[in-house]
Amino acid sequence: MTLPATEPEAPVLSIRGLHVRLSRDGRASTVLDGIDFDLAPGEVVALVGESGSGKSTIGLTLQGLLPAEAQPEISGSIRLAGREIVGARPRELRDLRLSLVRAVPQDPMGALNPTMSIGAQLRESGLSADEVLEWLARTGLPNPRRIAADMPHRLSGGQRQRVLIAMSMAAKPRVLIADEPTTALDVTVQAQILTLLRDLAREHNTATLFITHDLAVAAELADRVMVLYGGRVAEVGHTRALIAAPSHPYSAGLLAARFDLDSDRSRQLGTLASEQLRARPSGAHCNYVTRCPLAEAECSERKPDLVRRQDGRQVACFQSNRVPDLLARVREAPSWPEASASEANALELYRIEKSFGPKRGILRPARQTQVLAGIDLRIQQGECVALVGESGSGKSTLLRIAAGLLAPDEGDVSWFGGIPPQVVFQDAVAALTPWLTVGEQIRDRLRPLGLSRHEQDKKIAEALKLVGVDPALQHALPSELSGGQCQRITVARAVVVPPKLLLCDEPISAMDVSLAAQTLNLLGSLRRSMGMAMLFVTHDLAAARLIADRIAVLEKGHLVEVGEADQVISAPQAPYTKMLVGAVPRLGGSQEKLQTFPPRERDQSDALAS
Amino acid sequence: MLAYLAKRLGGLVLVLVVMSFIVFCLQAIIPADPARALAGPSAPVETIERIRAELGLDQPLLVQYGQFMSRLAQGDLGTSIRTRQPIAADVLKYGPASLELIVFAMLLGTSFAFLLAFAQTTMTRSGGVRLGMLAAGSFPIFLTALLLAYFLWFKLGWFPGSGRLDIRRFTGPTGFFVLDGLLLGRPDIALNAIWHLFLPALALSVPIAISVGRSLNSALVDVMRQPYIRTARGKGLSGGRIFFRHGLRNAASAPLAMLGLQVGLLYGNLLIVERIFSWPGLGLYTVQSFGSSDLPAVLGIAMVFGAFYILVTMLVEVLQSVADPRIAL
Repeated sequence: MTLPATEPEAPVLSIRGLHVRLSRDGRASTVLDGIDFDLAPGEVVALVGESGSGKSTIGLTLQGLLPAEAQPEISGSIRLAGREIVGARPRELRDLRLSLVRAVPQDPMGALNPTMSIGAQLRESGLSADEVLEWLARTGLPNPRRIAADMPHRLSGGQRQRVLIAMSMAAKPRVLIADEPTTALDVTVQAQILTLLRDLAREHNTATLFITHDLAVAAELADRVMVLYGGRVAEVGHTRALIAAPSHPYSAGLLAARFDLDSDRSRQLGTLASEQLRARPSGAHCNYVTRCPLAEAECSERKPDLVRRQDGRQVACFQSNRVPDLLARVREAPSWPEASASEANALELYRIEKSFGPKRGILRPARQTQVLAGIDLRIQQGECVALVGESGSGKSTLLRIAAGLLAPDEGDVSWFGGIPPQVVFQDAVAALTPWLTVGEQIRDRLRPLGLSRHEQDKKIAEALKLVGVDPALQHALPSELSGGQCQRITVARAVVVPPKLLLCDEPISAMDVSLAAQTLNLLGSLRRSMGMAMLFVTHDLAAARLIADRIAVLEKGHLVEVGEADQVISAPQAPYTKMLVGAVPRLGGSQEKLQTFPPRERDQSDALAS
Repeated sequence: MLAYLAKRLGGLVLVLVVMSFIVFCLQAIIPADPARALAGPSAPVETIERIRAELGLDQPLLVQYGQFMSRLAQGDLGTSIRTRQPIAADVLKYGPASLELIVFAMLLGTSFAFLLAFAQTTMTRSGGVRLGMLAAGSFPIFLTALLLAYFLWFKLGWFPGSGRLDIRRFTGPTGFFVLDGLLLGRPDIALNAIWHLFLPALALSVPIAISVGRSLNSALVDVMRQPYIRTARGKGLSGGRIFFRHGLRNAASAPLAMLGLQVGLLYGNLLIVERIFSWPGLGLYTVQSFGSSDLPAVLGIAMVFGAFYILVTMLVEVLQSVADPRIAL
């Protein structure tokens, strides 16, 4: 492609016909299938797509860091500052990484060497001791001298990401690859990190590839957006124009599934794509065809080319003129089923207190950290309460106490009828036993009921149908299912014997937008139709507002605000809630809206807790 | 750190008390009679009774144990029946030979372990290395030692097969002959001592090399997959620098623990190897004490090695906390 006429400079990065094949378990598959793309100096381009779209592979290919055990086969051309990367020797690639292309990683917690001081790791990047302090200060870190001498484990996630940004930007690279740099961080820290990245990139005229699955984050930061699906470019365009009027059904689907604080919470979220088979980007057909609601015969016969339109938008779709109708259809998403509520309390937490850390020993003073300080919370039958807070606020601890998995130091937990609740965990794949079929794992909950084998099978099939999984899949092992299906299985396991109370621990935080929307729809419908009470722990205020009747805000072990969901979001009372609400990225937001928050000095207990 | 040391030393005392009790009880159960062994098979009953009284063996067991413990508190491990020397003096006399051997075995074992792990991490086809480690690991130590002695000493004559030095009657200030040779300005003696050390140390080093090598290798495989290694590669650092500065130190903890375990448990192998190579150390001393039912000596040596094990474990934990600043003692 060529750049719009408003960009006079020659591109610093130009990719032509890039194909990448990677092997996994001895089977090679095409991960990138013909990418064409240019990046101008100082430009910020967001690469948007779900996991498996190949967006991270582009970043790794640019750095020459594709894992050797995947035996990468690369063809096409990547020219970075006039140098060809495809086919370059390892030595040349190392030179490129040293000065021209740098990356900010996804998870700052693991990306710093735990046995090396921050200063030493920055000096390895070619900085003098003075430059290290200067760069630490520039990234907004308080007391750079102390931080330079510190070890990574004593810093919070946000501080570590600042260190990693300093490490990358100090090399004055021409291209910066930021691979979901904020997904692992708290929402208030996210905004600060995005601002910092954008400001530094502008100042140094660094071209930035911003890899994300979140269109709203892209909207706040990027000049242009490139939507990837299954290793091919679906659509490229200027950010605001693309978000206002997507031209590819996949972009439209991403936008429809995307929810924020302005989404309509009186009905279910609109989802376009079904989570069917994962498309493989090979063959002469549109690779979105199996999920596309607009698919026609020609979509499975020919591969659509990336066509440039009058307005500069590039789209690879035969049906792009029908996308506006599709968006209209989304707005008629089904409403929630009828809910039944009663006055009785499904869960009652009374003055819960909990501390962690070593107790006083003979030779050691107590080093206890209070995690929960006298929490009172009641959930009525059929009601959903969302518990929100940042990492280290104690929300997961409270959930584990409510589940009876952890004993509080003080206070009482009581469940309706004394029946312990069911829990849906964040990592669904890890919450399933890998060597048992999913049917057997659901059956485990039916065993105490003394049902016949036949009745058990019937109940299992019913539960699977309820969560939208083909009952035939009960004989599958968890490894044979997708992440979304695994999460549905854990829900089926929880509801096969209808519980009075369901506890959800960040069930959507590791999910793509479309999957998250589907999971929210599922949980929201189930709890209403089954009359379950629900405690939904999340750091995502938008999800909390959608799913819950009431929101409880937890700050450092104290409940600072509890109220009706809409009220808490539209008129937050506590300063902490105001800050959380203000930090949520919104789709309608523009780059100017991105506020600068004063960097908060986070104390050590925060860093340790997260 | 101080609290840690206090706790560990407290543990040391506790373990020694328990161990002394167990070994002492064994002494009462085993039907061998040290007094008869000392007097000889044809000695008259009166002589045996006299020796028994001399050794305090006619006292009730509990009294014997009490006496033993009170002497122990004063650093007296008792008197050897066989050598008629205080056992503490024997430990000081034979200990340096064993310690020198252990240190060399440890150095050799660690070097081999490092080479093995490095080969497995860097080579694309490391199946041969793994097979060799499996084969070497399946050899019992007495067979390794005998094979080494047979080929490298008896057949080829490259290394001496017994003793600590070619010259007899050498004494140095420390008892560590390599060190003594250097201290006395006699590098020839130091080299000769190393030459003698080689075969027994090699035999002892095989199990150390294999267990530590495997542990180091699996730790390295894990560490080299960590995101911070990708960060280091993303900085454009060279492969060697990434391996040594970012990989090795983070992988150190598990192999250090394994090294401590292997060295701490070396005692059993030491008996065999010192016996085969006639190495005048505590291993050979123990074997000879067994032969003459010298239970006080066996008891004393067992306690010395028990203490040695705890000290090695302590050292390992200190080293681990040096390697990884997240481990606080």
